[in-house]
Amino acid sequence: MPPRPNLRLEINGHPVEVPCPDERILLDLIREDLDLTGSKRGCDLGTCGCCTVLLDGRPTLSCLTLARLAEGRSVTTIEGLTPHGGLHPVQRAFVEHGATQCGFCTPGFVLTAVALLRDEPHPDRERVVRAISGNLCRCTGYTKIIEAVLAASGGA
Amino acid sequence: MHLDPFELHRPSSVEETVALAARLAGAADYLAGGTDLLPNYKMHLNPRPHLIALEGVAELRSHGPERIGAMARLADLESDREFAAMYPGLAEALGHVATPLVRASGTLGGNLLVETRCFFFNQSYLWRQSLGFCLKAAGDRCHVVPQKERCYATFSGDLAPALMVLGAEVEIAGPTGRRRGPIGSLYDGSGDGIRRTHLAPGELLVAVHLPPGARHLRSAYRKLRVRPSFDFPELGIAVALRTEAGRLAALQMAAGGLESHPQAFDALTAPLVGTEPTDARIDALAEAVGRSVRPVHNTFLDPAYRKKMATVYARRALRAARDGTAAGEGS
Repeated sequence: MPPRPNLRLEINGHPVEVPCPDERILLDLIREDLDLTGSKRGCDLGTCGCCTVLLDGRPTLSCLTLARLAEGRSVTTIEGLTPHGGLHPVQRAFVEHGATQCGFCTPGFVLTAVALLRDEPHPDRERVVRAISGNLCRCTGYTKIIEAVLAASGGA
Repeated sequence: MHLDPFELHRPSSVEETVALAARLAGAADYLAGGTDLLPNYKMHLNPRPHLIALEGVAELRSHGPERIGAMARLADLESDREFAAMYPGLAEALGHVATPLVRASGTLGGNLLVETRCFFFNQSYLWRQSLGFCLKAAGDRCHVVPQKERCYATFSGDLAPALMVLGAEVEIAGPTGRRRGPIGSLYDGSGDGIRRTHLAPGELLVAVHLPPGARHLRSAYRKLRVRPSFDFPELGIAVALRTEAGRLAALQMAAGGLESHPQAFDALTAPLVGTEPTDARIDALAEAVGRSVRPVHNTFLDPAYRKKMATVYARRALRAARDGTAAGEGS
């Protein structure tokens, strides 16, 4: 196989160029090569949603995405949600509603919720439940997470 | 979990894709959304040295009301309200595939060609090594039905039955051209269970076509699974029907999640055409469906329970299609 050129993509608004074998998974690239450890490795099989990033704005399981297929695309991780620091309104709502316990699943939930509220600014409770149904939390029981997302939408 | 090294290919046309696949015969897999293939690769389940990514093949991505490209994302089909209103049973099936995150990447073609599943297959390498590898991956025997000839892993896609009852056709491209056939003919129900389809080496599923009459059918899909927010089907039953003056003018039923291929129940449904779809006839048909299916003990729920539930879910799906009942998990 001929040597591959470096992978070029945009991470959190910044152009990045890194060596990348074909079999590299996007989550591994983000965590291990770029030291952005906000995206978590939970099940590593697409079940838990802890690794969720926004790929061209779309919530995506980074554990099931080949890094090479993000070539030329834009990736937003939890670190890049507020480029100038501070908390995103969804993050603030999570804090205010106690929607976090151990915090491991929180980045995935927040990014899923951010994309939901961008596309549907005022979802009802059922819509929120459905939207976050691919993100697992083993601590909170979901009630506070749902309340936080509804609050961030101005609907609680 | 890291993947074993492979070479990734990124063709941009159907012709380039099938030529590449023919050249790499037996040494390559197609990569669609990756939500099924990559977990299997992580578990070292039959990884191959070449992967042909389909995401750059524009023709595969488009979808319209009567032709859906194999690389159409499930989430995009689900959010197309006009499409969903046209094919309510298919929309129910789409909405019940895994999770929204999986559907954001998962594709129509990927769901139709999803790898069959089994307790003894979908396990880690060490787990499988400790027991002895199975017929489906690196071994020579089946642990579910002990013998060495046939694999009983379960077909676990939701969309195949929902499309079968609509009379859908598949468009397939190969090195010598394109062909079309009924979607049911895609699946090899009489083989060894390892070879799951009638796709020749290198052939590519390009699109699914829905006949004009499909939008005039009343349809429903009912799915049994352990966790309603995520799991593969323990069974899924699709129904489509049309009535004229209170009598059935068309009736189709199909199921997935029960055997190693999706199955239609034409022999059971045909006698009902021309009759009124009364509760008694529906109950009798549902009983016959339950009697005819043969699940084995390779998924989470006990096969005897799945067999009983096949009757219950067939009845629910039939009544929902007859009455135009709204979608609902299992209801």
